[in-house]
Amino acid sequence: MTSSPPSNNDESGSPNWGAVFDGIKDALRLPAWVVSAALIGVGPLAQAVGHPIGAAMASTIFVWAGPAQVLFYGGLASGMAYPALAFVIGLSSMRFLPMTMTVMQMLRRPKQSILMQFAIAHFVTVTVWAECLRRLPDMREDRRVPYFFGFAISCLVLSTFTTAFGYVLAGNVPTHFAAGLLFLTPVFFTCSICAGARDMPDWLAIGMGAVLEPLALHVAGPEFDLLVTGLVGGTVAFMIKMNRLNNAGTPA
Amino acid sequence: MIELLAPYALMLVVAAVPTGIWRAGAVVLSRSISSQSLVFEWVRFVATALLAGVVAKLLANPSGALALAPDWGRLGAVVAAFAAFMAFRRSVFAGVLTGETILILSVYVTQH
Repeated sequence: MTSSPPSNNDESGSPNWGAVFDGIKDALRLPAWVVSAALIGVGPLAQAVGHPIGAAMASTIFVWAGPAQVLFYGGLASGMAYPALAFVIGLSSMRFLPMTMTVMQMLRRPKQSILMQFAIAHFVTVTVWAECLRRLPDMREDRRVPYFFGFAISCLVLSTFTTAFGYVLAGNVPTHFAAGLLFLTPVFFTCSICAGARDMPDWLAIGMGAVLEPLALHVAGPEFDLLVTGLVGGTVAFMIKMNRLNNAGTPA
Repeated sequence: MIELLAPYALMLVVAAVPTGIWRAGAVVLSRSISSQSLVFEWVRFVATALLAGVVAKLLANPSGALALAPDWGRLGAVVAAFAAFMAFRRSVFAGVLTGETILILSVYVTQH
């Protein structure tokens, strides 16, 4: 709890920066450790293609997307052409469009500059997105942006160090632990998405995403499978939600 | 000097920009939509289904050391993680810990 003076005017009140510490505290409780452990794996990949440790750390700061970083260093290792690699990374990062829009809806405020909004957007990842879905709706608006930065920057700073740690460690990890590190991303994604689920359509979207992906891979190929999965699964769940709301709204 | 900076420039152009355009695009798109709009509700569902798809893809087509885990290990670990997550009143910690334990054991058992 912070002891700043109460600001009752949510619409025009300036951000309550004391909430930064709540964000840091929540991040260090678990999420920051999981993301940063997942990014240990990027270090050895960068080391394997002969890039300096600083570049590996910078990739965590500037890309801030584990799967994209793994694709980047993995693609370089397999000798992919740069434009093709950029294209594949771009497709894999498409999830940031709907994720960031969801976050912006909760964090934007009147008179907020577009630069501030770009700064917010840069820090969006699955971890941050899931945390926002869970915490922000019940939080006072003047506390949201400070909380967000406290949370997100803690995750990023810790992850930058673990990327370097992985670089130094490179290849000296027993295979079962190396597999465990790579498993962190899917298992943490699973729990994070489920933690945000509130009603039946939410669960349906999760279930459909998991079931549709192999089908979409078959039909749309490895570039566009996730796009198809998200659009089809998400739209069906959305329509069912709307249908339920309409039925609930009309008198029997 | 140029050789020293090349890895940084490559990372920015080939990885950071293709990722960042989606985040920046989301900011630009969001500015023209009212926060009450149902578009945001739809977009949230699309993101949720897409992320579940990402998990399915990572588990069905594992890369690196994760490919050393048997199919039953990867599937069993994620199912157990979900069960533990629900059993412990939606505890992400319990889920991750359970899933990791089973996955690491499955690789260890397969290799020994």
